Amino acid sequence: METWQILLIIIVVLVVLIAFWYIGTMNGLRRGEVKVSEAESGIDVALTKRFDTLSKMVDTVKGYTKHEAKTFENVVKWRKGMPDDLTLEQKQEFMQKLNQVQADINVAVEQYPDLKAEKVFTNLQHSIADVEEHIQAARRLYNSNVSMLNSKIVSFPTSIVASRIGMAKKPFFEAELEKRADVKMDF
Amino acid sequence: MEKTLTYFQEKKQKSEWITVVSILVFILGIVLLVISGETTWIMSLGLVLAAPGFIGIIVGIVLFNRTISKFKSMYLKDYFSTMIEEGVYRPKKGLSQSEVYACGFIKRADRFKSYDYLSGRLDGIDFRSSDVHLQERQVYTDSKGNRKTKYVTFFKGRVFQFDFPKKLDHRLQVLERYRPRDGYKYQKVDLESMAFNKKFNTYATDSHTAFYVLTPHFMEALMKVEKNHPGKIGFSFFDEHMRFAINNNKSTFAIMPFRKIDEKLVEAFKEDVEGLYEIVDDLKLNRNIFKEE
Repeated sequence: METWQILLIIIVVLVVLIAFWYIGTMNGLRRGEVKVSEAESGIDVALTKRFDTLSKMVDTVKGYTKHEAKTFENVVKWRKGMPDDLTLEQKQEFMQKLNQVQADINVAVEQYPDLKAEKVFTNLQHSIADVEEHIQAARRLYNSNVSMLNSKIVSFPTSIVASRIGMAKKPFFEAELEKRADVKMDF
Repeated sequence: MEKTLTYFQEKKQKSEWITVVSILVFILGIVLLVISGETTWIMSLGLVLAAPGFIGIIVGIVLFNRTISKFKSMYLKDYFSTMIEEGVYRPKKGLSQSEVYACGFIKRADRFKSYDYLSGRLDGIDFRSSDVHLQERQVYTDSKGNRKTKYVTFFKGRVFQFDFPKKLDHRLQVLERYRPRDGYKYQKVDLESMAFNKKFNTYATDSHTAFYVLTPHFMEALMKVEKNHPGKIGFSFFDEHMRFAINNNKSTFAIMPFRKIDEKLVEAFKEDVEGLYEIVDDLKLNRNIFKEE
């Protein structure tokens, strides 16, 4: 076999190997992205469930407290539940608002011992505790997937493929979000 | 209690002496038979010593086993029933095959044996457990080319089933050198803790379930359980149960020859049970905050 033929074969083999690696890496990144999206849907499901449970709690509390607490006004505004097209940052904001509602409910409950003893309410408290565990799990799963994807995106040579297909680092879902004035939400 | 322990110790000691003396007599008889040659009276003396020596060994062993069995079924049974709420101890019974294999990571055995069943309620949490001995059949060819069969132990330890405060629709297994064997489609999950991932392989039919069960505190508690229970350990979670198995080549309530039946022995068994209370507490299994009334 001629030298140029050997060289040609080596070049073809190298090009094929690089092409396989490129496709494999790209698919790996896409799979990672899908996992992140799935985990984000998990957060949505948990947040919606928390919203529903909190709404039921508010209804129960309202039966006891006749005054118009700020808490309840907030929830009334959110009657439609969590909007579908929220960004991750807005979801974090939504979670913070739900935290506030729950804190307000807890304050209200302290003033009404009979409410604390009511079976429906205690069951809702159990439900909300479980829902919160689900939110934490969804958040940790999401962050874990984001962490894995981000480390791939910034690592060489995967970073070359990531930039070629326009994949950027994903944001983490923080447990506690600092209040930001520039984010407005109208439900 | 002390009087009863003394009673069992005396009976056990008696059986041990019978066995030891019989072994010596039997050995002496065999030695005489070997060295007797043509001398008839030495051969006769050898036979006279070896035969009752052999019978004595059998009698000694039977008496020993009977004493241990009575100690367990009379003394330990009462002891555990007072120590554990709704405590049930059955030395000759164990978990059923379906209960053991429900762990999902224990290989099916050709020979199955379970014993020393203990169940009850710890801090409001129901549990069931027993020692399990599993063997698999192996066919091999000896040096003469004959095909032979032997049974090899691959699991000897204890299997537990606890009530779990979270209701799970998906399956989760946290395993140390095991792998899922129940036929479900598991995916390997990496948690945030590097130390935990290094110690255990986590498999779940749904990743969310892994993160839901394995909170940072729970991961630490599982590591502590693993540290306190040497051996190959595996945990599985499904429905409303946590199951775990420790393959440590031990029988939990075994009493070896020449080990005294006394307060110290009972204290050691008590510590085993107290270890279960610790597991319930560490894993916060008694925290039924999610269950509706």
